[in-house]
Amino acid sequence: MLVAKTITFRIRRFDPETDSAPHWDSYAVNVFEGMTVLEALHQIKAEQEPSLAWRSSCRMGVCGSCGMFVNQFPQLACQTQVLHLEADIVSVEPLPNYPNVKDLVPDLQPLVEKHAEVKPYIIHPDLKEMREPSGEFLQTPAEREAFSQFTYCIKCGVCLAACPTAATDPAFLGPQALTQAYRYSADNRDSGVHSRRDSVGAFHGAYQCHMAGACSHACPKGVDPALAIQLLKRALVLDNFGFGKKESQSAKVAPLADVVKELEEFAPPPRTAE
Amino acid sequence: MRETRLWSLHILVIPIILVLLGAHFALMHYAPIFYALSVEKAREFSTMIARGKNIGQFVVYILLLAAGLYHGLYGTRGILRELPWSPALAKLIDLGILIFGIAIFALGVYVTWWTFNFELGG
Amino acid sequence: MTNNKPAVDNRRLGLRGWVYAGKYTFERYLYLGHRLSGLGLIAYMVLHILETANRMRGEQAWAELMAVFASPPFKVIEYLLFAAAVFHAMNGIRLMLVELGFFLGKPQEPVYPYKSSVLKHRPLTYLVMILAGLLMALGGSSLFFP
Ligand code: SF4
Ligand code: FES
Repeated sequence: MLVAKTITFRIRRFDPETDSAPHWDSYAVNVFEGMTVLEALHQIKAEQEPSLAWRSSCRMGVCGSCGMFVNQFPQLACQTQVLHLEADIVSVEPLPNYPNVKDLVPDLQPLVEKHAEVKPYIIHPDLKEMREPSGEFLQTPAEREAFSQFTYCIKCGVCLAACPTAATDPAFLGPQALTQAYRYSADNRDSGVHSRRDSVGAFHGAYQCHMAGACSHACPKGVDPALAIQLLKRALVLDNFGFGKKESQSAKVAPLADVVKELEEFAPPPRTAE
Repeated sequence: MRETRLWSLHILVIPIILVLLGAHFALMHYAPIFYALSVEKAREFSTMIARGKNIGQFVVYILLLAAGLYHGLYGTRGILRELPWSPALAKLIDLGILIFGIAIFALGVYVTWWTFNFELGG
Repeated sequence: MTNNKPAVDNRRLGLRGWVYAGKYTFERYLYLGHRLSGLGLIAYMVLHILETANRMRGEQAWAELMAVFASPPFKVIEYLLFAAAVFHAMNGIRLMLVELGFFLGKPQEPVYPYKSSVLKHRPLTYLVMILAGLLMALGGSSLFFP
């Protein structure tokens, strides 16, 4: 493989079982074009430091495991090409604003708990209809587009590492959870923000976002959490003044028989046996 | 829910503050431009009292006091409460700011009322 | 294993996270400026209420106080306050609109090269900052060169 450059990796090391404080180690890596930070870490582990710990899996920006603080910016190690950083020294730290497990492994437990807190699932206004649907839940492309962007979140936690409020407030729900609260509230099959207002409409919820914009800038999936949170605030305010209640969706649900009939009209005539 | 109301109010008072504080600035600090009145003259005791005896001015000042203090103190509370306090301390901050706000508002209202009722040359 | 109690490595940035806006977009500096100017303004408003309450001590006391405020150092402080108010007001107009979901564009599929809501409302950001600059210059010229 073509060697393009030797880059020094400064990695923040910490092992809670042996270290009393974190320290920095340096490793020289021959970086070729297209090599990612994650590949460089693998190389360091294989050739120089077998005890180096981090978390990764898919190596293609899908699993959300490898969020790290690379050169003072939170990003996915597997999607960051070393040479694109345009620096001879690359510093790698675990994501800030999370407790640290070991070396480059942040403890994402708080993220998961906050995610669960906002009820990240469809809450249909008609419980009976939700349990035993009388037909399909229909959705137009426009209705889908109202939240589609926010479904791409991979729970990597990068946004909370960028967020200034999360820097001091451990109870702040954070961009990830608030975005998911909006993703479900904006879904036409859901009863809206009303059923989530206890968490997202409380002090440590949406209003502690001040539109600093860092989460949207850093999010590796283009989820744009800042957009979702501002729309969430609007929805909360409207709901509070009585404008946000959604009409029961069950009226919009087509009876199964109608759907079958419609499909039959579109379907080609059944083939008859020879 | 309660926070939604508090925050909505925080946003709702912005237009009030923009208009009234703009007028206040024009009156007190840019009097030469807007009223052909020197800043010194605008700040003279007799001018101030004369202004304060106007009922419109009286109402506007009470409104600006309330809106400005609410907006500013709600913002301050938000900033303070973003620090990791214990629940008890957080409650104490909320309460402290509320009491402080009411006290300073009461003082402002009292002074405005005093001016409104002041007899010049007495 | 040298000690029984494992050491903890708290990575929460704390106040540094408020202040250091690093490689993020400059809106994070506006956030910081908004915070600082807001704190300054409310502190001044409280002082201002206390200071103008001085009128109740009579014409003499009032005149003496006003004479102090007419001195050059207070002119500079007064201008700083005016500048803070202008910044906070102009940036506040942006925040008021944006935090209610206006000017941010609609949610859309993140297909490269996509623009985040921060970039989408940049024209508004530039507009309010230019307005703030103009007002500050205007206020300064009339205050210092009447
Ligand atoms: S919103 Fe973006 S940055 Fe935040 S967890 Fe989801 S994918 Fe990661
Ligand atoms: S390894 Fe899966 S996102 Fe990077």
